[in-house]
Amino acid sequence: MTVDILCKVVDNFGDIGAVYRLAKALSALDPSLKLRLSVDNLAAFKALEPAVDADAEAQALHGWELLRWGADWPGFRSDPPRLALECFACGRPEPLEEALFAPDRQDVRHIVNIEYLSAEGYADELHLMPSATRSPRVKKHIFMPGFTPATGGLIIDPDFSRAMAVWDQAKAAGREALARAREALTGRLGLGPGLGSGRATGALGPRDEPAGLASRFWLPIFSYERDYGPFVAQAARFAAGEPLAVLAAAGRSQACLVDAWERAGRPFPLVALPFLKQEDWDQILCASDAALVRGEESLARAALAGLPFLWHAYLQEGGHHQVKVAALCDRLAPYFKSAEAAALGACFRALNEREADGPAAGGGEDIGAFLKIARREAFRTPAEQVSPPAAQASPAAVGRSGAASIQASPAAEPAIPAAGRGGYAAFGRALRDNGDLALRLLTFLRALV
Amino acid sequence: MLMTSDIRVGTVFRAGGDVVVVQRMLGIKGGRNGQVKKMRVKNIVTGQTSELGLDMGEKFEEEHLDYHKMKLSYIDGETWIFMDQESFEQYELTKEDLGDNAGYMTPDDDFEVEVAFFNEKPVSVTLPTAIVRTITYCEPGIKGDTSGKSFKPATLDSGIEVSVPLFCEIGTKIKIDTRDGSFIERA
Repeated sequence: MTVDILCKVVDNFGDIGAVYRLAKALSALDPSLKLRLSVDNLAAFKALEPAVDADAEAQALHGWELLRWGADWPGFRSDPPRLALECFACGRPEPLEEALFAPDRQDVRHIVNIEYLSAEGYADELHLMPSATRSPRVKKHIFMPGFTPATGGLIIDPDFSRAMAVWDQAKAAGREALARAREALTGRLGLGPGLGSGRATGALGPRDEPAGLASRFWLPIFSYERDYGPFVAQAARFAAGEPLAVLAAAGRSQACLVDAWERAGRPFPLVALPFLKQEDWDQILCASDAALVRGEESLARAALAGLPFLWHAYLQEGGHHQVKVAALCDRLAPYFKSAEAAALGACFRALNEREADGPAAGGGEDIGAFLKIARREAFRTPAEQVSPPAAQASPAAVGRSGAASIQASPAAEPAIPAAGRGGYAAFGRALRDNGDLALRLLTFLRALV
Repeated sequence: MLMTSDIRVGTVFRAGGDVVVVQRMLGIKGGRNGQVKKMRVKNIVTGQTSELGLDMGEKFEEEHLDYHKMKLSYIDGETWIFMDQESFEQYELTKEDLGDNAGYMTPDDDFEVEVAFFNEKPVSVTLPTAIVRTITYCEPGIKGDTSGKSFKPATLDSGIEVSVPLFCEIGTKIKIDTRDGSFIERA
């Protein structure tokens, strides 16, 4: 079965990140699938997967065909598209469009529009809803990622599953074991012993200790441009009671964050991370104690991993991003006591209160409550596990796609130990119980053809 | 070709092999460049209704129909009778055929609508984009609030409820956009 996966990079790396992850997950579920990816920005793809040749019109990657968007690929004629995944309503490249809508074709073709992730209720409504095209022989459906069993769920690819399992075990084994595992990770990533020293690109604060930073409270920041002054000040107060290391991810937030940190007198160690390939970023995220994440792809990773997180939503016209933030907070709320849920909601809202992104944007947030909850969750023992609300956590609850009829290979889905570190961890477990988006999608595609 | 963004209540187009008329807009969902227009449509050949979610990037063939300018003459239960302004012939459409558009019209209106014909049968109505209606009920207005940024529900003389700025009162004539029922300005 050939599946065309289509991706246009709107900006940043979220679109291509999700598409790359989806391709890996589908391949792992069914190695016989022939995947053909059309991507408009191969340079962005290369940032996540260095094996990509950003200049090639067509290339082989992980057993897939990777095409530059619009490439006149002979394969569109020898193996005409039958199933196309239009990721995030990206449209379709002209050569594929011609082959898909060729008037002489008598077979039925299918397009599945995989929409953006949202916690809003409409994700349930739209999941698997029929759509339409101009041709009676090209059928179209909408497939919604989401946070509930009535949606397609989130992508749980094997690499990420393994990362979650490994770091859940390390965390359950205690802080010393976690520090040793982190040392190994940073060594492997070339970040040097004691994260941030040695060959790392980042600057270090005055509180670096001989034991390195691996035993500190890790807080990666992957976000947008803003005034990080208040954030740094509150993180500094937190650092007075709990040794903290901030990991500033490469990209839009790094310069603003480092600037605020410099202005505050380097109150805690900070490491400016180089741009990491997707699998390495997954490892860093899963190895951390809490995170500030942006967009949708990193949000999904943090949420699945049960990591305490704050979400900096993609800015939308008219402040609509706050609707999405509120919807996510509503999904999180049942996993916390009401006072904590309210405090977290206020953190999320304040962080996202802005009309533009830029070095002077926002800055009115109070993340103290979040850091307090994050610290408690990070140091909670498995015995202190919080049970998720029954209605949202039932593994039996599946979406309209029905029960998964395709079995993942045993190696593809290692068991996730239920370390159980509080509300975020319970939320993550519920999301994992919702099932893997790739598996649901593959089941749906198989039913179509 | 018709883009998804051009489609509104009353639009007749080919969705796959079916000729459908949009009866009701059920909202635009999504964000960034990924927006889905959810709608209830009726197959004008079979009469079957269904829900569709169309993303903004899709193009459709517009069904070529005959359009006639008419005025709503009177309403008889669930049947709406329109009069052709040139031939003075009368044509019937059900309230279901009109979908959301039914809520914008009364027989007292002076504005003309375009009635679309498919196989010589009336199938839908296209309203003027902006029409004037009178508020028959709303909570009292807040004097001094002329910002137009805060809204309250208001019932119109045609029976539907829309959102209006706080300064509006019962009896206020307002101009509304018939594509989505949004308030444009005080008339």
